[in-house]
Amino acid sequence: MKDPISVNLGEVVVSSDPADVLVAYGLGSCLGITMVDKQRHICGLLHAVLPHRMNGAHPHCAKYVDSGIEGLLEAMLKAGAERRNLIVRIAGGANMLTAAGLSKTFDVGTRNIESAHETLNRLNLPLHAEETGGHSGRTVRVYVASGRVTVRVVGGVEKDL
Amino acid sequence: MTAMIEFDEKLVETLRSITTVGIHNAVRGFSGLLGHKLEFGDPDVKVVPLTQIPMMVGGPETEAAGIYLRAEGDFNAQIMMILPLEKAFQLVDLLMEQPEGTTTFLGSLERSALGEVGNMTGTFFMNAVANTLGREIRPTPPAVMVDMVGAILDIIVATTGGVSDHVLLIQTCFKDGSRSVLTDFWVIPDAQSLQALQQAEKKA
Repeated sequence: MKDPISVNLGEVVVSSDPADVLVAYGLGSCLGITMVDKQRHICGLLHAVLPHRMNGAHPHCAKYVDSGIEGLLEAMLKAGAERRNLIVRIAGGANMLTAAGLSKTFDVGTRNIESAHETLNRLNLPLHAEETGGHSGRTVRVYVASGRVTVRVVGGVEKDL
Repeated sequence: MTAMIEFDEKLVETLRSITTVGIHNAVRGFSGLLGHKLEFGDPDVKVVPLTQIPMMVGGPETEAAGIYLRAEGDFNAQIMMILPLEKAFQLVDLLMEQPEGTTTFLGSLERSALGEVGNMTGTFFMNAVANTLGREIRPTPPAVMVDMVGAILDIIVATTGGVSDHVLLIQTCFKDGSRSVLTDFWVIPDAQSLQALQQAEKKA
């Protein structure tokens, strides 16, 4: 069996190899966005860090939720996926800091989730499922062979998303 | 909004000398809390790509305890302590004067004990730095997290990621007697504070 492909911060990976498993480990405020075309067996995973693209960044820069989603969509279509087949899921966007006086300043997680909703709306891509917010980190896996997407929290088991 | 820092040898030296004093004092505070002396290495001042951060302590999915606070005032920085889970359990047992092995879970009481460690260590660190710089620095209340390392370190990634693709990190670890690491101790100064430090140097 192949090692899973780790999708790190600000990376996007698209695969059509049934032996591949794409993983974004330990998402805190970061957001994992998955796209699956089951008919064509093409899957993609984006690991975005911040909500909105900064001036000067590439229009498909995977560091940001908005430009990253556009980049993931583009990469999926380029790999042969069909837009109408795409099943989109998001996971992550936790607020890791719950202490008084700290949490409000940095609630990047919530802003990442909002940015994903806005971007998907704008691109007219329906959101199939999400597990977002809260205060726990998550690991997201995409099994290319089956198109299955799972989420795991610390101490928990993998659950289908 | 990009704040570019010229990362020169002089700044590294300044940071190293300031933080070494701070870390000495922090270890003293921490050791006092424990009732025995902790060892520590000289702080390493380095620039790390943002994407490397979640990989730096045992891998992003490893479960750990994180204690986080900020230094605010004339010098702004983030302080993060990352403890392997079993070390966090041992530390709680020590602090609560229980036989080792009693703590197997970090509930609100245990987290509050770890928060106290953050308070003590952070305050001792900041007092020494404030004295050296002749400036005022206050700690925020600590936040304690028990989660995947990647998720804990996302805090640093999210707060610095808007400014730069690199993080200036001052890193050391506190060791308990033998060679086993009790906690990683990180200080991440805000870009503006680094710039102020550099300007002060130029004037001097």
